[in-house]
Amino acid sequence: MPNLIERQRHIIDFTLSSLLRRKGKNCALLLVYTLIVFILASVLFFTHALKREAALLLNEAPEIIVQRTLAGRYQTIPIAWSDRILKINGVISVRPRLWGYHFDSAFKANYTLTVPAGNPPQQGSIDIGSGISMMRGANRGDIIAFTGHDGIPRSFKIRNILEHESQLLANDLILLSEEDYRDFTGIPADQATDLALRVRNSREYGIIAEKITRIYPDTRPIVRTEILRTYDALFGWRSGLLIVIFSAAILAFVIFAWEKATGLSAEERREIGILKAVGWETSDILLMKFWEGTVISLTAFLVGIILAYLHVFFTSSALFAPVLKGWSTLYPAFPLTPFLDLGQVATLFFLTVVPYTITTIVPSWRAATIDPDAVMR
Amino acid sequence: MISARGISKVFNHGLPNEFAALHPVSLDVSLHETTVLKGPSGSGKTTLLGLMACMARPTSGRIFLNEREITSLPERFLTEIRRSTFGFIFQQFNLIKGLSALENVMIPAYPTGEKYSILRRRALESLEMFNLGQRADARIEWLSGGEAQRVAIARALINNPAIIIADEPTSHLDSIQSREFIDIMTDLKAKGRTIILASHDPIVYDSGLADRVVEMRDGRIANEIKSS
Amino acid sequence: MALRRSTIFLRTVAGLVLLLAMIFLHASNEVRTSGPLFARKNALVRQLELTDLSIFTEATYTRHLSMADISTPFQDAQMSLDHFPSGALVEPPPHLLRNHAQLD
Repeated sequence: MPNLIERQRHIIDFTLSSLLRRKGKNCALLLVYTLIVFILASVLFFTHALKREAALLLNEAPEIIVQRTLAGRYQTIPIAWSDRILKINGVISVRPRLWGYHFDSAFKANYTLTVPAGNPPQQGSIDIGSGISMMRGANRGDIIAFTGHDGIPRSFKIRNILEHESQLLANDLILLSEEDYRDFTGIPADQATDLALRVRNSREYGIIAEKITRIYPDTRPIVRTEILRTYDALFGWRSGLLIVIFSAAILAFVIFAWEKATGLSAEERREIGILKAVGWETSDILLMKFWEGTVISLTAFLVGIILAYLHVFFTSSALFAPVLKGWSTLYPAFPLTPFLDLGQVATLFFLTVVPYTITTIVPSWRAATIDPDAVMR
Repeated sequence: MISARGISKVFNHGLPNEFAALHPVSLDVSLHETTVLKGPSGSGKTTLLGLMACMARPTSGRIFLNEREITSLPERFLTEIRRSTFGFIFQQFNLIKGLSALENVMIPAYPTGEKYSILRRRALESLEMFNLGQRADARIEWLSGGEAQRVAIARALINNPAIIIADEPTSHLDSIQSREFIDIMTDLKAKGRTIILASHDPIVYDSGLADRVVEMRDGRIANEIKSS
Repeated sequence: MALRRSTIFLRTVAGLVLLLAMIFLHASNEVRTSGPLFARKNALVRQLELTDLSIFTEATYTRHLSMADISTPFQDAQMSLDHFPSGALVEPPPHLLRNHAQLD
């Protein structure tokens, strides 16, 4: 047993000495490889954590939202409609939601106005998300002014700043009272943005949604499972140019690695011959090649994964910010809870370490089985 | 005793460039003497040497090592025998470039899994024996021809083989280095090792080293001279 | 005597594996202790009746992804890419792409 371990270590010694001969080339390879694993792992960690976060948070979203559409566009809904909807079996409550957007032309930012269901601010005061607070330099007790639908500015006193920890939910929110909301947006008193329903049994969602569309054919019910499904599909592998561009990068790397790993030079061939001639078995040669692939790919994998974790969960995916930010002015800092999927890490391992190691071993197979007397000729 | 019974070797069998390097040859090499295979290049001496040292299998015929038939052994056992019984010194030294002299000496012992500290000490001692102690960490390409030759000899001895096989060992050495080589071999012979050389260098086969000179030509044994 | 190369390599790998293990521990610890944090955030979702995450604020259909109607995000065609960079990152909600059997 100690013999076997020592034999492995001798072969690792040899492999490392052999790799160190082309220090520059192999270091560059290691660096590129690490970078690929790092980006891939960052994307996986980020999307997985974001999806889990969304699933856990939005599980508390209203069971059904009823929107009204007019000529295919989204319209305010008469509050009176809630009476008939409430009569549908299984519906516990119907609450008109009041929300909308406000474009702040001074800061070129979009805010979301919302009238909260519980604990609304008094007339004349508002709660704002931490993103707005940071951007406008507005703090608790400050007076802040926004221009309403009629062009007349209205000033509000800031009652509260929403917790920084809830950035992902409330970064751009302005919470205000119903009176202020209607005055600010000009939505008539008998209208709401949409209706939020609480439903007793999740199995009735479909039936209730169907009943609503039968009563009001111009409405569109959005069931919570659909909301959750939307966020589960977010950053799916099909979505986005990022993946397209990145797959091109991976292919380029595959070509590079293939070239590097399969291009068994005459020099290497001769070395294999020498090793065989001085008493190495075919299996020793293959073991050496196995370590040659493993040394590079395992190191790159481990370093890449560790850096990706630090990147996503300690720097809030700082490198992705420019991509995710797009042209929005308000952007959350993504303080994500580190939900890791071990299966994903394992998949990454099998997608990076294993193929590389195999492409290193396979081409040397034939060279490893040559007769050792070839070096004498 | 190594006994070759009617062995032949054909390269590229069945191809247009088929080439018979060795016609059926029989030869007994006693382990108590030093044998030199002599002949011009292309006479088949390297091929015969390689076959006797388990480097390749003959196309026909059989080889016995101490009465054990080795021609039909599977590769693993053949490698095992080659590693433990034979030490090789090649014409072009065949050292691995980029590695240190010490590593080159240790390479044949790697598959045995010998403890690193012991192996390293043995390799260093062996290098010191050939006055290369100072050069242990030097890369192969920094060594002179004579130094490289001595590293190759140290490598051949690392697994403590009973038989040393040398193929044209002096072809890349000048006369002084060649005589040095003969001195080392004479010394090893005195210590009880069997030596089999292939050479067409008069310094080798005319030296007192050889007990027996086998002359080869066109893949056949042409003549045999036994000294003493 | 300088360290053996395999020793350096194996120690490095061992160190990295240890770091990775620490990362997993850190992650599971963070997740385990995130209960109260999620309770607070969930309370906020209930209080504000939120349906979406505030990630992309530049357009209504990316700010409220699940509330988007069929016509706004994909004015020309259902899968056409728009001029917002985020449009290259998010897909249209699945329920807009697949018809809801019961509702049609």
